[in-house]
Amino acid sequence: MPEVVVSIGPHHPALKEPVNFRVIADGEKIVRLELDLSYNHRGVEKAAEQRDFIRVLPLMERVCGICSHSHSTAFAKGIEEIMQLEIPPRAQYIRTIIAELERMHSHLLWLGVAAHLIGFNTLFMWTWRDREAVQDTLEEMSGNRVHYGMNEVGGVRRDLTPEQLNAALARLPALEERVNKYVVMVNEEETMLIRFRGVGRLSKEEALRYGTVGPTARASGIDYDVRKDDPYLAYKDAPWNVVTDTHGDVYGRTRVRVWELQESLRIVRFCLENLPEGPIRVPAPKNAPKGEILSRYEAPRGELAHFIRTNGTDKVERVDIRTPTLANWTSVAMCLVNQNIADIPVIVAAIDPCLSCTSRITLLDNHTKKAGIISFDELVRRYRSRNPEDVQP
Amino acid sequence: MAVPHAGLSQRLVNWARVKSPWITVYNSGACNACDIEIIACLMPRFDIERFGILVKGSPRHADILIVTGHVTLKQASRLRRVWEQMPEPKYVIAMGACGASGGVFHGLYHMMDSVEKVIPIDVYVAGCPPRPDEIINAVVTCLNLLKEDAAHGGKEWRKKAVPVSGTDGKTGGVTP
Amino acid sequence: MTGPLTLDMVAGKMKEFGVSEQVRNNRIRITTTPEKVHDTIRTVQAMFGFDRLITISAVDNTMTLELVYHLTGPHRMVVSIAVGLPRELPAIATVSDILPPAAIYERQIHDLFGIMFRGHPGLARIVLNEDWPDNEYPLRKDWKPNPDTFYGGIKGERS
Repeated sequence: MPEVVVSIGPHHPALKEPVNFRVIADGEKIVRLELDLSYNHRGVEKAAEQRDFIRVLPLMERVCGICSHSHSTAFAKGIEEIMQLEIPPRAQYIRTIIAELERMHSHLLWLGVAAHLIGFNTLFMWTWRDREAVQDTLEEMSGNRVHYGMNEVGGVRRDLTPEQLNAALARLPALEERVNKYVVMVNEEETMLIRFRGVGRLSKEEALRYGTVGPTARASGIDYDVRKDDPYLAYKDAPWNVVTDTHGDVYGRTRVRVWELQESLRIVRFCLENLPEGPIRVPAPKNAPKGEILSRYEAPRGELAHFIRTNGTDKVERVDIRTPTLANWTSVAMCLVNQNIADIPVIVAAIDPCLSCTSRITLLDNHTKKAGIISFDELVRRYRSRNPEDVQP
Repeated sequence: MAVPHAGLSQRLVNWARVKSPWITVYNSGACNACDIEIIACLMPRFDIERFGILVKGSPRHADILIVTGHVTLKQASRLRRVWEQMPEPKYVIAMGACGASGGVFHGLYHMMDSVEKVIPIDVYVAGCPPRPDEIINAVVTCLNLLKEDAAHGGKEWRKKAVPVSGTDGKTGGVTP
Repeated sequence: MTGPLTLDMVAGKMKEFGVSEQVRNNRIRITTTPEKVHDTIRTVQAMFGFDRLITISAVDNTMTLELVYHLTGPHRMVVSIAVGLPRELPAIATVSDILPPAAIYERQIHDLFGIMFRGHPGLARIVLNEDWPDNEYPLRKDWKPNPDTFYGGIKGERS
């Protein structure tokens, strides 16, 4: 089949991430997708082999700016398991609090970006303003809004003072109220229903076959959640439920994420109120014994897998990072087939891609044999223009 | 070298540039934290749009380019092209530790040695990631530079790099 | 298939493929040979319900290149199937025909380690830039960047 390339930049303004799409299309319908992830490839796995356990954690954090705590916790808990270290309960709870706060800020971020894609900028502003409350809490606890640096092998680096706990608890009621409003909005707001319903549908069998993870999978009715399947940190103690939905389309994924926001708030509240006393770290040996572990973690976007092998020194032999976005790309490629080009932004955004975790796609038109450059903005405009009366100011 | 009295239209243009700069952001292989903080600047909490600062997608309309991330080999030529598309006078802000020295990614096999090898930098912002307040400060520093350069007829009078964010830009800086 | 799996259940059935060992209360590790990997995976899928691929990890342990396939299923157990490949011409059959998500992981491993996956639908570059020279596999232990080679970026401005 003669194929023509229509590449959609790497320079994309709204996603703020280098995204290059190679979509082989037939007129407006997509036939196939090809992937190029080299824009953000930084060689972190090789660098980790040359840094000892103290210096490698900041590197792990900066694999991704949104799920930074996920990477550093997954790594730290993997090393701790190889060393057979039992970290104190207070440290587990603190890590859980930060982890769930991170999940909240990530889901709120996503909700805003998804709203922006359909032109609903008001919701964009609201969710990001609420996100600032989460960022303030994280900044008080850890010193930074992103890249918190809370972990070390053996526990956490900073303790939480009673003032910080009270300040965090004081912010929760307002957040809970806002999140409840979003749940209502997602279920009843006409704009979102029309734009998201039926788009990017993945059936349960397809989601299983393509190895989907995270909210994308849970929206298709698969109840895999590493926090329940392979419990770690304080998730066994806190009262919470795995959230699933049966729609399987972007609408379903939106619902899963706002409900997960509610569950996260419950977990944070539980951990803040029941923080056990005690030390926050145990002394860790300098070298890790020879061993191998697959450390699984439920990042905001899905299951994160760090495969770590150690060799008796103070550096890892190998760390292999499989990010949730990489696991979900197969499903994007598959569920874009036979969809319209204009649906690309929303379907891609619905898996909540963290392209720095992953790192791209190009568009080829069979029919017209035209090669041109479409910007992502243009795609978004096309998507919105399908139902112009629904666009909100 | 002072420029002889600039015409009215030129002074109007200079005033408009300073009062309402348009910014474009380019992610050259970052972890995205800096990009999220830039979007946070647009949000109601920090709201740079009330200053007339607009974040535009196209480099052809921009006065200031903000580069996030430490340039990967793949992005280097594209970043250069984006910079070349910007019309003069153009300014570049390199964000964060990655922009300054490579941050945690310094020396890795898929990275350029520094952002400076690809495009010239005018302002550096410290932080990993810099807070939105610091980003706004950097943009203001850049605008002060713009004003000074307009008074001197261009950038050539400045041989030294601009110091990191937090100063008023007048005290000269460190050569790159 | 649901319900708890025990090591004995798995080890007995998998003896023809290789040695099994319990790594943790819910993890089982099977070591096998390159020719048997495809059948091993098909067997664990069919017999024990490991229908989901978590990831494929590749390790260079200086003597051989190892691949570890991690699978899970509704019973929430995890099985890791490990296989060693020779360094000179590492090649193995692809598993993307029985596990579609494997295609991406195998592409990435091919880019970084140089392992050839026979039967893969398309082993094009995925994480390294288009100017990266062939036959240079950065994640191998014996790879060092050559100062005279152009690896990408802007010609003449690397260092």
